Amino acid sequence: MKELLLEVLGWLGYLERFPVLLQLLISLALLTLSRLARQRRWLGRLPSLAYPGVGLSLLALSCLLLWAMGQPHGLALLLGELWLGWFGLSLLHRLLVGRLPTTTLHQLESRLLRPGYLLMATLVLISELDNLHDVAVIPLGTLFGITLSIEKAFLALLVFYLVLVGCGPPAAGLAWLLQRAVGMSDGSRKATELMLRYIVVGLGLVGVAAHLGVNTTALIAVAGGLSVGLGFGVKEVFSNFVSGLWLLFEGSVRPGEVLMIDGDPCEVRRLGLRATLLWRDRDNAELLIPNQTFFTEATTTYTASDRLRRSQVNVGAAYRHEPARVIELLETTARTVPHVLSEPAPKALLLSYGDYAINYGLRFWITNPMNNVSICSAVNQAIWQAFQQQGIEIPFPQQVEYQMVGPPQTQQPNLGPH
Amino acid sequence: MTALNLPPAVLPFCRAGLLLAALSLAGCGLGSRLPTVTYIAAGANTDQRLDAEMREDYRQHLGLLQDAFRQLYPGTTFQLGLYPEDQIIPAIVRRSNAGLDPDLLYINGDTALQLLQAGLVAPYPTDPGLEKLFHPETLARLRNADGQLAGLPVLVQTQISCFDRRQLPEAPRTLEELLRISAAGKAIGLTVDPVNLLWTAGSLGTLPALQRTLRGQPLSPADRQAIQRWLSWLQAANVQQRITFFASQPEADAEFLAGGVAWIPCRSTALPMLRRRLGARLGVAPLPDGPDHPASAVNRLRVMALGRHSSEAGRQRAIAFSRFNVNPLAQRTLTIGSQTVLPANRFVSVPVQSSQVLETLNTAAAQGLEANQLVASMHSTDPRMPELKALITRVVFNETSAAAGSDRLVQILRRTR
Repeated sequence: MKELLLEVLGWLGYLERFPVLLQLLISLALLTLSRLARQRRWLGRLPSLAYPGVGLSLLALSCLLLWAMGQPHGLALLLGELWLGWFGLSLLHRLLVGRLPTTTLHQLESRLLRPGYLLMATLVLISELDNLHDVAVIPLGTLFGITLSIEKAFLALLVFYLVLVGCGPPAAGLAWLLQRAVGMSDGSRKATELMLRYIVVGLGLVGVAAHLGVNTTALIAVAGGLSVGLGFGVKEVFSNFVSGLWLLFEGSVRPGEVLMIDGDPCEVRRLGLRATLLWRDRDNAELLIPNQTFFTEATTTYTASDRLRRSQVNVGAAYRHEPARVIELLETTARTVPHVLSEPAPKALLLSYGDYAINYGLRFWITNPMNNVSICSAVNQAIWQAFQQQGIEIPFPQQVEYQMVGPPQTQQPNLGPH
Repeated sequence: MTALNLPPAVLPFCRAGLLLAALSLAGCGLGSRLPTVTYIAAGANTDQRLDAEMREDYRQHLGLLQDAFRQLYPGTTFQLGLYPEDQIIPAIVRRSNAGLDPDLLYINGDTALQLLQAGLVAPYPTDPGLEKLFHPETLARLRNADGQLAGLPVLVQTQISCFDRRQLPEAPRTLEELLRISAAGKAIGLTVDPVNLLWTAGSLGTLPALQRTLRGQPLSPADRQAIQRWLSWLQAANVQQRITFFASQPEADAEFLAGGVAWIPCRSTALPMLRRRLGARLGVAPLPDGPDHPASAVNRLRVMALGRHSSEAGRQRAIAFSRFNVNPLAQRTLTIGSQTVLPANRFVSVPVQSSQVLETLNTAAAQGLEANQLVASMHSTDPRMPELKALITRVVFNETSAAAGSDRLVQILRRTR
């Protein structure tokens, strides 16, 4: 590691050379000015995309001038090419917006394209200063008895990162194929996809270890050390990881499932290594709940065996209306509301005789538990309309107020006419 | 501490100004605080694998000189970049265009001359006093048409033979002995690489014919017979059960280290690596001579050439370091300390009595004198080399007869680049 640091620090010595400094100054000045000009709209109506173009053209002219003067210009040219490449990425972004979902595009750019480009740019710059292959063989230290060079460490990290980031689409594709072949549910497909990703990442990890030359004895030693570590320091993390895997196999908490969390239906969005991400419709909140919560605590689900939910709204009708008529009206009304299933049929019940109304309950079935609140609202509105049309009163409690007079023995009931 | 309340509109300008000022200061005001680095690019033999071990060998090799140099110029640090010799020219072209070329290039003499002719290294400053230290013919090989010197000769790397003492008590002195020990069951390794195989042409007396071919001079029937004799010997050698032709030197080295072969031709620069692995089992000897001619070992004159875009101080350091390297004390330190190279300074005597390795290297240097001319006129990166290698491979494996092979060889060598 010391050797690498010395190597990198040694490159600073090139700043002693005037041509190097001049090229750096020209490139960075034009880059900064181009950004400033774009932010402050110095060139009036020119579209913002044109500013980097102007900066790049000026840089190209500067390189031409340096070349004509017989001065080194390769560094400025290279920096210009790298700038052009970065600008190309923003053009690609504009091209892909609308063609790819926002989340996918963001992930593609932030996890693959931009880091990949920055990495490539760094390697290109290093190769200007030194022989990349020579730098690659610099030893970083010893790990499990093997000498770790920059090349080995870099390749191992790169491969692992690519496996981690890049295994998503192939795993999704394979899971989709399996779903088509076996006829599994969407939840099972998502679970299969996640399992495939875990397997690929696991294989990638083993492959990386093999590439590094880690022997099995060392791996066993690591496993032994980890088990002690798991017992103390990272117990919770490991517990959550194992819970996540278990829940996947069990199929109780899978992406797409609807669970009741604190009385609200929430949809499982992602089952992660440590925590599960759920979406709550009520306030569009995303809840991150440790996996072991579902493993150790009771959870209500509406989607374990099917996705039907039986819903209920309560309503009161005046005593003067015949209950049979009210019940029939309620059931007929429910059947007219969209998203209320006709089979199982809606069922109205006389629940109790209240202080000022007869209380009825209307039970009906819906297919998407997440839509419960909106469908209940629609049913309540339909009931109000139907009662209005049929002249059925929804009574409400009335209060009679009277003034107290003292002393208490002189108080007389207020029996007079109002 | 109070913060400066700058209007937001001014902030971007301030940031840009600060950045530019920092860069300017880095180059001007802080110039004296920058590390005083001398950048050295070294060309490594293409027939050796560039790995951590080779990097360490070069660092140790140059370290012998750097430590002594720092006593005179304290604070100087050296940054070494290793390139395979056949890749160094494109790398220097690229780096020179950017102004990032090394201060010093530690390369083969013919590569230095190529770089000088391409304007990629600065001519070495003329100093008659310094030039007296070297043989005039050595310097002549390093001069361009204008008489400018491509670099300062520092040392000589030689081609020798390496053998495993556990399998072979003594190395063969002649080609006949080589064939005899292979017939006796000892495994011998050769490579089809023309540069590494040229020594056999010397042993078989083919070198003058090859030189005449390369110069475009008319060939006598005897010359053609000499070339055919060389190719026939290679063909016959491959028929021997215990002689193996490897595709490259690293393959031969690996087999030698694994104990698969008892004898191989090797480069003196590979000795540290071979010593580390084999210890006392490693034996070194000059390459086997022929019945009437010495082996033509391909030796490399290593020179220090000056990069074009060094700063004034960097150039001074580079010149001082290269001059320091040819003083007798440094040359002796290098020779005795590394036991892999010979001094370029003709006034430095090699203590051959005290070291068998140095004696071998000295003999190899003498063996290589005849091949110097040929090697200088055909660089290892010459585009004809792959064709030659392919031809030798076909001849060795009897897909082309020695007669047809010799005609084809003449055609290839006569073709100008």
